[in-house]
Amino acid sequence: MLTSCALQRDRRERNGRILKHVFLIGVSVVMLYPLFWLLASSFKPENEIFGSLTLWPSSFQVENYTKGWTALPMSFTTFYINSAIVTVLSVIGNLISCSFAAYAFSRLQFTGRSFFFALMMMTLMIPYHVVLIPQYVQFLKLGWVDTYLPLVVPRFLASEAFFIFLMVQFFRQLPRELDEAAMIDGCSPFKIYWAIILPLSLPAMGTAAIFSLIWTWEDFLAPLIYLNDIKNYTVPLALRLFLDQEGQSAYGQMFAMSVLSLVPVVIFFVLFQKLIVRGIATSGMK
Amino acid sequence: MTKLTRRGLLGTAAAGFAASALTGLPAYAQAKTIRHYWWGNPERDKRTFAVIDVFQKANPTIKVSGETIGWGDYWTKMATQTAGRNMADLVQMDYRYLFEYVRRGALKPLDEYVGKSLMIQDFDKGPISGGMVDGKLYALNIGSNSQVIVHNTRVFKEAGIDADLINWTWDDFAKASEQITQKTGGKVKGSDDLSLMIEVFESWTRQNGHEFYDKDGNVAATVDDVASYWQFWEDLRKKDVVRPKEKTVILDIPIVESGVAVGDTAMSHFWSNQLVGIQAAAKDKIGAAMVPHKKGGKPGQFIKPSMFMSLSRDAKDTDAAMAYMNAWVTDPEITKILGLERGIPASPKVRAALQPGLNDVEKLSVAYFDAIQTKVGDLPLPAPKGAGEVRDAFMRIGTDVVLGRAKAKDAATQFVDDAQAIVERAR
Amino acid sequence: MIKRFIARNAPGYIFLSPWLLGFFLLALGPILASLYLSFTKYDMVSDPRWVGFANYEYMFTRDRRFWKALEVTFTYVALAVPARLIMALSVAMLLDKGLRTIGLYRAIFYLPSLLGASIAIAILWRQLFEQNGVVNQVLAVFGIEGLAWITNPDTSLYTLVILAMWQFGSPMLIFLAGLRGIPRDLYEAAEIDGTPKWRQFTRITLPLLAPVIFFNLVLQTIESFKTFSSAFIISNGTGAPADSLLFFTVYLFNEAFKFFRMGYASALAWVLLLIIGAFTAIAFLTSKYWVHYENERD
Repeated sequence: MLTSCALQRDRRERNGRILKHVFLIGVSVVMLYPLFWLLASSFKPENEIFGSLTLWPSSFQVENYTKGWTALPMSFTTFYINSAIVTVLSVIGNLISCSFAAYAFSRLQFTGRSFFFALMMMTLMIPYHVVLIPQYVQFLKLGWVDTYLPLVVPRFLASEAFFIFLMVQFFRQLPRELDEAAMIDGCSPFKIYWAIILPLSLPAMGTAAIFSLIWTWEDFLAPLIYLNDIKNYTVPLALRLFLDQEGQSAYGQMFAMSVLSLVPVVIFFVLFQKLIVRGIATSGMK
Repeated sequence: MTKLTRRGLLGTAAAGFAASALTGLPAYAQAKTIRHYWWGNPERDKRTFAVIDVFQKANPTIKVSGETIGWGDYWTKMATQTAGRNMADLVQMDYRYLFEYVRRGALKPLDEYVGKSLMIQDFDKGPISGGMVDGKLYALNIGSNSQVIVHNTRVFKEAGIDADLINWTWDDFAKASEQITQKTGGKVKGSDDLSLMIEVFESWTRQNGHEFYDKDGNVAATVDDVASYWQFWEDLRKKDVVRPKEKTVILDIPIVESGVAVGDTAMSHFWSNQLVGIQAAAKDKIGAAMVPHKKGGKPGQFIKPSMFMSLSRDAKDTDAAMAYMNAWVTDPEITKILGLERGIPASPKVRAALQPGLNDVEKLSVAYFDAIQTKVGDLPLPAPKGAGEVRDAFMRIGTDVVLGRAKAKDAATQFVDDAQAIVERAR
Repeated sequence: MIKRFIARNAPGYIFLSPWLLGFFLLALGPILASLYLSFTKYDMVSDPRWVGFANYEYMFTRDRRFWKALEVTFTYVALAVPARLIMALSVAMLLDKGLRTIGLYRAIFYLPSLLGASIAIAILWRQLFEQNGVVNQVLAVFGIEGLAWITNPDTSLYTLVILAMWQFGSPMLIFLAGLRGIPRDLYEAAEIDGTPKWRQFTRITLPLLAPVIFFNLVLQTIESFKTFSSAFIISNGTGAPADSLLFFTVYLFNEAFKFFRMGYASALAWVLLLIIGAFTAIAFLTSKYWVHYENERD
């Protein structure tokens, strides 16, 4: 009796699991379609990308990749290096400065905290396009135009309020007894930040790192405005050089390079998403 | 904000001057850098950077920094740099934007250099005058173009279209569209629906004897002009011989998505310097036809500069900049590299030198250009500020007609009112 | 007294100092400049000219497209935010329940978001939703006759809502990170007590996830109000067809960079800022009643 019940439950659970997989695989197909499409397009001859509805290319144009890499006045090697510099620095800057600010906002007491928090939220809401010009003028006066400084320095000064707010929400979820106990043990606020808050917030930091990397890697508007010399262009800027709405474009090569530009991001994603799993945070603490 | 900037810049300039006075000028003689900014594509960028190399070799004291981006993003960056008073010394200009920039004072006139450092006296007068605004030359023509009805020659042949494609009329055009649609069993429609193309409408209204804008910058096209134009296409849509409406209402589509490139229509409208680009995207061989004429009407189509090079108000070393600009249109080695890629050169000498090396599409565009010389009208008067917005309004309001949400006549009335309001607001 | 004040405040300000520097040295100036510009006529080439409230007056009394842009944006926010959040939360919960292949699925589900608002997406979306596109082919299997969704002004906005739903990757990741923070033993205890699943969801998951839900809600609302790239790219920057994709920021961008009205665009931006600010403030005020934080619990 008892065993048959257990069996039944087992079977029900297994059926449930299978059902879940079927569902997830179904959703995956919908999610993956664009990638297949992009891959297929990147191998298509130029005049087949538009107008033909079949996904499969009539002939595989590997040249889209081989020629695309060097089709522009600079090879993509340069653009990848440039992008890598900007991205790595930005991610580091974001993680350090935003976690600092988030720690202050979420776990320290000081006068003016909610006022500054409101200001910080305001910077999230303002449409970027209207501060673009004053910001450009400002960086121009500093002599930073056509360097990476306008793209990187603000990141070290916690310019991305999104990440501050994200970390604030996660830091606030850690029990207060943690800091209190540490404080009684004579830990400095920095020690608490470094030894307690950060290690317990790995999922949040991992998430922030992933977003920060992807968004910087794909950022287009700021590099467009601040970088002039083609030697300094990042990958997304370079991708736009393939297209001329009014003239001759190279869509196949653009797609091929777009596919390649996803590779570093996907690798980073796969590596860093482990952090999100490992977060055991509050378990056992209560 | 800008006031602050200017003061800042003045301050920097003053400091720079003081510094150079202290250290002595010779140290600065080497450091001539000019910036050249253009919108491009892989092909154009390659040619332009090759030009820069040639120029730098011939002028070792001048360093040229080449800056390029696609058309769509070009103007955003240009506006930002203009606001920051940090425009490149030499900027590529488009006919559509020239007046907007000149009228706001962003470009320097070139008249004082002509015959001294800019040797364009023997160039064709017509194309050169295209860069004149309010009596001054603000932009050097680096290629001319004209409207063109690009067509699929294979489909034309199969459908037995034998109209004279230079002298044909709107009736011929409509008939050809019907014939093509019929002969291909509807697989290929006669033409793209050009309802929303203000460039074609401009020819239409000129054929009726009205300019789009009068000399005071008011809208001179009439409600009847607009309504009859939209009605013409409405009739073709009813007969189902043009591209379906859902393709038409996507605005500013890239040329690769046009009917002739994709292959679902036999005709589309373009500018003649785009022929190379369309041929690259299309499967069949393309041909060039004029915008149809109105029976007994005036000439509507015109030849205009396809691209300009302009000297910006922020240019510091004008001598170096002018040397570069002059080389662009006169140096044999450089003009050979550039070819016809930006349009037909205004210099007869350069054209003659290029003639032997042309490929098929380039030959087509030269032949087309020769054929239309006597059939086109004068260049329209310079457009007023706000013309870009009027263009948007034309497409937006025309969309309602295409989708059958408004009658051509009502929409035309609304458009003319809106257009006039737009140019008045922009003053 | 002063010493105590300093001692009490010093750590906070030290940790906040990068942000303070960045805000006061880099961010504040441009923000104030845009506020000033909103009271001027400024074409970016000549100097700005003070016009008082003229921009705001024109906006509210004469500008039809301003109202159209508001309508489009509000409709989008009302549909896209809940759709995306529900999608993200349900998938995150599904993934959280100990599947061994979670990493794979997570990567797959994030992929659409990786493509962002690139040109590839614009082309793909137009092809998917055209008259004989894939969507209509699939619908045809079920005997439904589709239309040209993306070029029909009545339906084009919904294709963007679907795009937003489909790119649910970032809120999903944040939800997942939040779910990971909920102690397992709470569920185990509930399981032993025989608490039904839906009750575990309302009693454990929702309250403990509240700060993260709150974050996603606020952020998605802000981001949706500011939606730019997808609408801009899919409509080739025009908001077409018939202004049905005229998102507020697309309108603002065109006013500024296409029509040389930076002053007016700044005024538009400040109106949008006030609208977003009002919504965010409401969210923060009501959050007292449904979001509780561990470090504030007594």
